[in-house]
Amino acid sequence: MLELRNLCFQYPDQSEEWRFHFSVAAGHCLAVRGASGTGKSTLLNLVAGFLAPKSGEILWNNQAIHNLPAWERPVTSVFQEHNLFEHLDVFTNIGLGLHPGMKLSCEQKLAIEQGLEQTGLGGFGARLPGELSGGQRQRVALLRAILRRKPVLLLDEPMTGLDPDARAIIRDLLLQEKASGITLILASHDEEDRKILADSNWNL
Amino acid sequence: MRFRLPLLFAALLPAFATAEPAQVLNVYTHPSFAAEWGPGPAVKQAFEEQCECELNYTVLESGGDILQRLRLEGSSTSADVVLGLDTATMEAARQTGLLAPHTLTLNNLALPVDWQDDTFVPYDWGYFAFVYDTELLPEPPASLEELVNAPDDLKIIIQDPRTSTPGLGLLLWMHAVYGDDAHAKWQQLSGKVLATTQSWSDGYFSLFMNGEAPMILSYSTSPAYHMAVDNTDRYQAARFEEGHYLQVEVAALVNSSKNQALGREFMEFMLSPAFQRHIPLKNVMYPAIDLGDELPEVFDRLIRPSKALFLEPAEVARERRSLVNAWLDAMTR
Amino acid sequence: MAANQSQPLRPAPFSAPAWQLAPGLIIALALIGLVLLGLGALLHTAGTLEFEELWQSRYLRGVVWFTVWQAVLSVILSLLIALPVAMTLARLSHFPGRSLLLRLMELSLVLPTIVAVSGIIGVYGRQGWLTSLLNDWLPDHGWSLYGLNGILLAHVFFNAPLAARILLQALESVPAPRLRVASQLGLSGWWLWRAVRWPALRPVLPGVSALVFTLCFTSFAIIMTLGGGPRATTLEVAIYQALRFEFDFGQAAILATIQLVICGSLWWLVFRNRLESSLLPDRRFAETVSLKDSPGQGLGRVLLLGIFSVFLTLPLLAIALRGLPALWPASPMPSIYGQLLPATGRSLLIAVPAGLGAVVASLFTLAAANKPGNRILAAIPVTTGYLPLIVPPLVLGTGLFLLLRPQLGNSAQGWVLVSLINGLMAIPFVLQVLRGPLNAIDKNTLNQASQLGILGWYRWRWLHWPRLRRPIALGLAYGIALSLGDFGVIALFGSPGQPTLPVLLYQQLGSYRISEAAGTGLWLLLLLVTLFALLSRVARRAPGTNTEPAPAAAPEPRHA
Repeated sequence: MLELRNLCFQYPDQSEEWRFHFSVAAGHCLAVRGASGTGKSTLLNLVAGFLAPKSGEILWNNQAIHNLPAWERPVTSVFQEHNLFEHLDVFTNIGLGLHPGMKLSCEQKLAIEQGLEQTGLGGFGARLPGELSGGQRQRVALLRAILRRKPVLLLDEPMTGLDPDARAIIRDLLLQEKASGITLILASHDEEDRKILADSNWNL
Repeated sequence: MRFRLPLLFAALLPAFATAEPAQVLNVYTHPSFAAEWGPGPAVKQAFEEQCECELNYTVLESGGDILQRLRLEGSSTSADVVLGLDTATMEAARQTGLLAPHTLTLNNLALPVDWQDDTFVPYDWGYFAFVYDTELLPEPPASLEELVNAPDDLKIIIQDPRTSTPGLGLLLWMHAVYGDDAHAKWQQLSGKVLATTQSWSDGYFSLFMNGEAPMILSYSTSPAYHMAVDNTDRYQAARFEEGHYLQVEVAALVNSSKNQALGREFMEFMLSPAFQRHIPLKNVMYPAIDLGDELPEVFDRLIRPSKALFLEPAEVARERRSLVNAWLDAMTR
Repeated sequence: MAANQSQPLRPAPFSAPAWQLAPGLIIALALIGLVLLGLGALLHTAGTLEFEELWQSRYLRGVVWFTVWQAVLSVILSLLIALPVAMTLARLSHFPGRSLLLRLMELSLVLPTIVAVSGIIGVYGRQGWLTSLLNDWLPDHGWSLYGLNGILLAHVFFNAPLAARILLQALESVPAPRLRVASQLGLSGWWLWRAVRWPALRPVLPGVSALVFTLCFTSFAIIMTLGGGPRATTLEVAIYQALRFEFDFGQAAILATIQLVICGSLWWLVFRNRLESSLLPDRRFAETVSLKDSPGQGLGRVLLLGIFSVFLTLPLLAIALRGLPALWPASPMPSIYGQLLPATGRSLLIAVPAGLGAVVASLFTLAAANKPGNRILAAIPVTTGYLPLIVPPLVLGTGLFLLLRPQLGNSAQGWVLVSLINGLMAIPFVLQVLRGPLNAIDKNTLNQASQLGILGWYRWRWLHWPRLRRPIALGLAYGIALSLGDFGVIALFGSPGQPTLPVLLYQQLGSYRISEAAGTGLWLLLLLVTLFALLSRVARRAPGTNTEPAPAAAPEPRHA
């Protein structure tokens, strides 16, 4: 279970203070709702460890994780865009998620190739992100997130701006993940996404 | 990227390692002496044949650097002999107390002045002179006075007395000729000075040989090289009535040397024809002894100054700063 | 979706925070130590100091004033030329001869001064080509190279190409999305500058200005050759005078300190504020983004580049013409190669390790500077990285000499030492070349790399190296080239009998072998051209990660 206890954050030079307090059970999807500027991204960045809270706690399975550096937290983030290293090809982008130095076992390489096939990206391994469409890029990003096998997925508008086909593919992937026990936090202003994926809602 | 810097260095080291023979004489000198076509290699060969030792050059940028290095190293220096100081750096070198008396009898010297110094042994000498391009300037001034009074469209290149030996030479030359009037004469001369370069090389290579000015401060022996090696009479030295200022290049023994005897042997060798015959065309200066017929023919065609102007090194050391300051004042007024 | 649950990983090599800070800090402290040792040694030998007298001297005040004045003018002129040239080159990313022009721009700085100055005089001097042309057309033009004119001309020749090269690199790192937006909005003129150019240039401009200022501030032989007389005297001249000619170590140390204070505070100002990292990721596209042109701009650009190329090429051509007779096989003395080739080998033996060392040290320095934490602490490594430029080599050399003296037994160590100092002297340039591209990485990318645990060596290998390969090649080329052309350091420490190329050149000059010296100058020029061309080519097609967008690979819609 992921728990946020009285998590409090403030941007430097701003008087406004953000407060978050909720919990999500393992294998559930929590949708975070709110208009732009209400702190959805801030929340996800806090959980990921890209921002440091002023006070409060983040717990995963009753263990505090808010003092851990980003790379030791049990989470993977997927943003609306810019998820990929633009100077590296698709295969390397995914591979770096499995081992940060690209020291991949044969099974891992195979898993990447299979994943690419299954998401309709077979043969795209050597392409650079700049040569892909938005939907293809998101699929690559999600595939990397999934192959990392971290128990929590932080999704920041992952389907915004994609065409209906691409949305459908990504929704399916996410549902599969949820079924396998992964916890999702989804920031989205899309009603349909939330209806299909979310088990509960949190309003900002 | 896998740089292995230490490995690289380690790999390079053996390439330079040399076996050391029994006795090695270390000589600190400057580049034009040690150059492949300079006197250095021939001298090394000749001396090694007679001494059964090895002669080693450490090449420093200038006489000033030799002195600087000696001072930094103090008595732990590896130099046995320093070769390439001149009348301008002698006094400062003497004052370090790091040099030893040579104890030689200097009776075969052929210098235009009487040389009695117990530390420094001269190995060559020359006069400062203005070298001119006969194609650009068929009739050069015949005296310093004529040069000073020439119209300002006669351009000359000189060197800075703050950074260059010939530059300081001209300063002393003017001082020797004009004494207290030198300041006014410098002011008169300044209109003709196209450039005051840092070193002789800068002026000669970049300016004079590019035809920027027809005259440059150099040595009276410079034309010897052009005549003997380049086979051209185009560049000649202008003979000035008042006489020419003298430069003497010297060597000295180092006090802390463990090879004193060998060092002395080298100094003696230095004043023998075996060393001196390489001076005229390879160092383009006059030999310090009379070479007789061995002096190349072109040296007969060089100008013969009526008078050698020379200030005692100790006096130069005392006066230099005030002379330089007066020069600065005259040139920037 | 079957994938192995990733087992707990061993941490990435060199990912402990100390690895980012310690090497750079050690280099910085070593440099500070060297400078203090050098200055201290001079002051120690000096005995009494006449600080007051020196400070009140009219001469010294004149020298300081002139030094600053000519440096400021040189910076302004160099930037006035470098800015439009860089922007034009960024705009015209494909035209025949572009890469040749870039190689020429890299050259002028690294040529030995005496060679470059001879080229400049061959074109702009009293008997120079252009002056002769001018004499025919405009008999009363009144142009004279000697004086402030010549100093500025030479400084612009040396520094404008360097500045333009670094600015171009910054402009080329403008994120493609930003360019596309600008293109779509049809921005041009002031707003294009405001929205696209300025944000890219702003981070590097202070550093470039400070670099050019320092180079001109410490300029020496150029000032004396072209300055026309002792009115044009820089502090460096006075230091040389005191140190080598008057053996007045106290005065030399004080003058060096004044120089250190003036240039050092400038660098401190530049680095006091750490640069924020780039905001946009640089998404790469196959095609270049075309921007709106105002009428007449195309012609203006061609004209500008044409004039700039001529300005750069003519002196090099003069050098080539002067040196050709000595190198051409038909010349009476082809034996010149018997000296040139071994000297080239020795030069490379010193220069290549020096260049590599400079690149490694610069990377460590920048890594330390980018370490989050204390700002002041982070400013130390970069500021000290520029020390070799500010402190007269003589002072630095004296420090090193004293530090290593007991070990200075044989010539091999002497050569390693020369290589080491040459490397040190190249650090400021390499730093300048690498700094912009290293900082251009965006926050988002860094965050993701952190989440994936791409740290330490892995971060360098996968994030920085593919993006920095070309800047590193350029930095390496500068590092090697600077030390190939170096005369000062090797002369300072004394070389064994066999000369390197620049020493050979000076030996030839000292022995009146003028045409051979010109040949050696041309040889050096050719060697430098080859070096820059080679390294830029190697960087372009190194194996491994694919950095260049494959041209027209995927005709996908782009609606990210």
